[in-house]
Amino acid sequence: MAKASNLTRTDLDSSFESYLSVSSRTSNRSLRVAEKERRKSQTGDPFVLALKYFSEVEAGTPCSGNDVLERNLVLVERVGLSRGLPPEAISVMLDYAMSLRMGGVMCVRVLKFLIPATVVPQEAVVRAVSWLCVGKIAISTQVLFLRWVLTVFDMIDSKDHLRAIYGFIFSFVTEESLSPYICHLLYLLTRRESVRPFRVRKLLDLQTKMGRQPFLLLLLSLYKVFYPELVTLALPSRMRSGFKNHNSTWKVALSAVQKRNNGQVSSDISLTLGLKDKTNSRKRKFHHLELPSLSSSIQSNSSSRSRKVFPLEQLHSFPQLLDNLHCIELPSQMGSLLGSSLALCYLDYVQDDSAFLRLNFWLGHALHEEFLFCSGDGGSGSSSEALHFLNRLLSTQHFLQEGFSSTEGFLYKFLNVWDGSLLRPQILGLLSDIPVVPSSCISQLLFEPLMQLFFTSTLFFKCSVIDCLNSMLLKWLTWHSVYALEDGLDISLNSHTPMNMTLSGFMDSVMELVRFVGRLATVGLQLEGCHSLLLSFILDFYETVCDMFLKYGLPLVVMPPVGVFYPALFATDPVSVDRLGYIMYRYKKNLTSAKCQQQETKQAFHISRQTYQEFNHYLLFMVSCLWNSKMFLPGMAIEVDQELLALSKVPEPWTSFDLIHHPAFLGCALDFHHKCWPERKDIDLNSIKAGKQWDWYPEFLFSQGFQGLQQFVQSSINRRSAAGINGQRGSQPTNSYWLHHLENNIFP
Amino acid sequence: MEERNSTEKTPCNNALAQRRSKSYRQSMRSCVEATHLAYTSGLLTALRIPRSRKAPKSRDITKQVDPDQVALLVKKEWQLSYVTPFYQFRHTQLKSYSKQLSAFIVSEKQQGLAIEVGQELGFKVNFSVVLGLAETDKDAETVFIQILSKQAFAAKDDAQKVVWSGWLTCVNGDLDYLRSLPLEFVSLPLFCTRGPESLTVLVKSWFEKTFDCCFGPLGINSTNLQWLASLWTGCHPTINIQYLKLVWTLPTLPPMDVTYTVHPQDAWELWDSMRQVDTTEDSISIDEVTGFIKGLQSHFFRHFRIDLSAGSLMQISTALGSSHHSGKIKIASPNYIPTILQLLTECALLKMPI
Repeated sequence: MAKASNLTRTDLDSSFESYLSVSSRTSNRSLRVAEKERRKSQTGDPFVLALKYFSEVEAGTPCSGNDVLERNLVLVERVGLSRGLPPEAISVMLDYAMSLRMGGVMCVRVLKFLIPATVVPQEAVVRAVSWLCVGKIAISTQVLFLRWVLTVFDMIDSKDHLRAIYGFIFSFVTEESLSPYICHLLYLLTRRESVRPFRVRKLLDLQTKMGRQPFLLLLLSLYKVFYPELVTLALPSRMRSGFKNHNSTWKVALSAVQKRNNGQVSSDISLTLGLKDKTNSRKRKFHHLELPSLSSSIQSNSSSRSRKVFPLEQLHSFPQLLDNLHCIELPSQMGSLLGSSLALCYLDYVQDDSAFLRLNFWLGHALHEEFLFCSGDGGSGSSSEALHFLNRLLSTQHFLQEGFSSTEGFLYKFLNVWDGSLLRPQILGLLSDIPVVPSSCISQLLFEPLMQLFFTSTLFFKCSVIDCLNSMLLKWLTWHSVYALEDGLDISLNSHTPMNMTLSGFMDSVMELVRFVGRLATVGLQLEGCHSLLLSFILDFYETVCDMFLKYGLPLVVMPPVGVFYPALFATDPVSVDRLGYIMYRYKKNLTSAKCQQQETKQAFHISRQTYQEFNHYLLFMVSCLWNSKMFLPGMAIEVDQELLALSKVPEPWTSFDLIHHPAFLGCALDFHHKCWPERKDIDLNSIKAGKQWDWYPEFLFSQGFQGLQQFVQSSINRRSAAGINGQRGSQPTNSYWLHHLENNIFP
Repeated sequence: MEERNSTEKTPCNNALAQRRSKSYRQSMRSCVEATHLAYTSGLLTALRIPRSRKAPKSRDITKQVDPDQVALLVKKEWQLSYVTPFYQFRHTQLKSYSKQLSAFIVSEKQQGLAIEVGQELGFKVNFSVVLGLAETDKDAETVFIQILSKQAFAAKDDAQKVVWSGWLTCVNGDLDYLRSLPLEFVSLPLFCTRGPESLTVLVKSWFEKTFDCCFGPLGINSTNLQWLASLWTGCHPTINIQYLKLVWTLPTLPPMDVTYTVHPQDAWELWDSMRQVDTTEDSISIDEVTGFIKGLQSHFFRHFRIDLSAGSLMQISTALGSSHHSGKIKIASPNYIPTILQLLTECALLKMPI
């Protein structure tokens, strides 16, 4: 013993230096601090002197009545509890205490103020453990030391040397009062290579002696993670909470120091266990909706025993994932991945066919059993578990930005039996995630069941279906815009294999989808009396459709059907008309640039003449209706017999949908009228059409927030300056003022 | 790139391995394949339901299969389940599976007590292969599992008592489906069990944890019961079926069970008259089966004025075996095992989620 302590003392000076260099090497951040310390030491800092005292003090020096000791101890204690001790101080003091140079009382006192300021050098801990092996320290002090190690475990600068003495630490496990702490420490240190059959057997022996102690079971459960073929156990749910915290002695001081040092070292004081706690779902006979818990697989273990592997169970942070990306082992049940976003990151990265197949088998089975076979407890589809499950599935798919193929397959079946209300947001959410469906089967798989549901359901269902199809289209288009380019998919490229969907195949699918929504919208609007909520969702959809070329690079322009265009134009709410204006403006932009590109590249795609004609029709009608107060004329899209119009007894029916008389803007017109002529009692809206007011009126409308209308007007209507016209032919009949033309607006 | 090439060369081998990939083309591919396989609800699945079967031929199965093992399978009632393909199941590892399953059962029974794998325990599990039941080279060999319990106070050489048994099988499974599975997967879709439910649950849960598969209950619908009735009746000339018993449940209030027992000779004659329609000797069509059942029903109607077609067929039994709607089957004669197992394998494969 004396020899050992001698040895230590002679080594101390040099090792002190090396600690300094270690600490400055390991953490660059503390470089500055270390520098400062060194400068201080040169000037004879009392703290450094005190440390020097503790590193050099002889064994057996009396401690009672020792003023020097007391002075130095108080000094270090104060620093420790207020600022925390630097790494070199920790190792000096720990060695001083554990070597029992001045007895056990001192040891306890020192341990209590060993609060690290930055990190704990692992060599200090290793040395202290070696003192533990000498076996002179009182059991209660040993426990205190172990609790200290557990408390500062995350601050130990590296753990490889500690792991190297795993066997020594393990030998303490038989010591009854140390056992809980040793098990905890081992739990933190255990790597795959430290799990050995003889250790398993030792722990099992202890288990027979001591009974089902949680600490033993937790360590064994970790062993099971690494070697499920060596040991097996089922943890009761009450034991899943993990080890107790042993940091009570240092907790307050440590957190104070850490707060003071402004979180320089992010240490998690609570060393809690990553064991997944079981969801408190009510007991069910069938658990197909329960996520399996993450556990390593026996299979791959036995096959790759030599290879270094990192079980997903041990994965707790993203940096960990990056460090171990090459050796991560997939769990025994792929369904467990659904609960962890880290694991999903990995899954997305590996792109393992069998892994996806396993996941799809599990997912498909759960969905089928719960919603199609209903073999559980009589189809408890509405239960909160089903809701929870689907929400989790949805968030997983959104995380991966893609739908699973088993979800897709399930949905095609489920749509045929769905009542349209069960878990509607979730089902529609999943539906919007399905990948592009080939146009040959899209109608049978998707449209027919959806159509039946759509026409027999409430307004809100109709809205959510349109919304769902809109987000489906958005996702398809996003895929296309990202991956078509990536794959170098040329527009003129033809298919190489039947498995690849060509651009034309993709366009067919999109076309089918847009047309289908067009049909749904037409009939839906009729059924619901052009409800403005439904109209709003439909216009959402067309806002996506009109920008397919410019936003997503898809050479396809599809105009809305008349059943959508006219209800939107004649809508009673200004928002719909305004949005229609925006949509027409975007159509124009898309068509113009498509035409430009077509002329430039010659060989490019072909947008049919019919599309241009449809657009021209709509544009002409919209301008003449809103601006030129012309309607129902022969040759226009809507023709009404003059006699029939006369029967309606509406005066000047052709003006009834211009910007002034349009029911959507009537309020604005009245407002404007009132602002122009505040004193006038009789309201004559037609007077807005005269003179400067007609110039001001659109500006007034735009100022009310009708941006879409503004863009439409500015892009499609060339107004002659009213003032100029006024000056030239001031007494012309009003109507000819509004001869705005559509030059360059009509596509040939 | 290499991988993609290989998949293109052998498309059918990988049809199931739907790579959930972000690539534009691949996502297309998986989607197209999916639709080829089983994605259309009624239509394509219906194609996989056979409309005709081979007539059962009496065959001495004991020539291919160990008679002792056959004896384990017959004359017992089994509860049926289906199971999705096993990942990394190896017929060569059965010994280690035995150890692991027994340790698993003990550790589950004694919550919170760690168990060393391989030590002597209160339970002993035997995995064994039943060679010879597979009909094609794509069928995986049948696996038989027995759980034996050690009596606490039994004498040393006392035989251990079998407390649970079960087997996993695949007979004449759909070739396209089996071929489409990647090599790491083994499909033994039909799981028959006998013994306490608690042990069944544990065994299933061990399989799920070890081979990443999922179990579900497998019922036998009335169409399949009718098939069985016809197949068994057709055997009458070779083996006396002694009786044909059918149990219907009629949706009256309260529900009415009708047990209808037919003399074997009468049943056979009716069946034979149906068979006249068909020209080919070897196969039986679904029309003949429905015709046979309709004949039985109309006979019943003539006597009792009860239309059995309004109810559902719940159970059929003959001396060759019996079968219940809820997924119970008993095969009494070893001679027709493959025929019955093929039908049940079909039912199980139809339950596969992908």
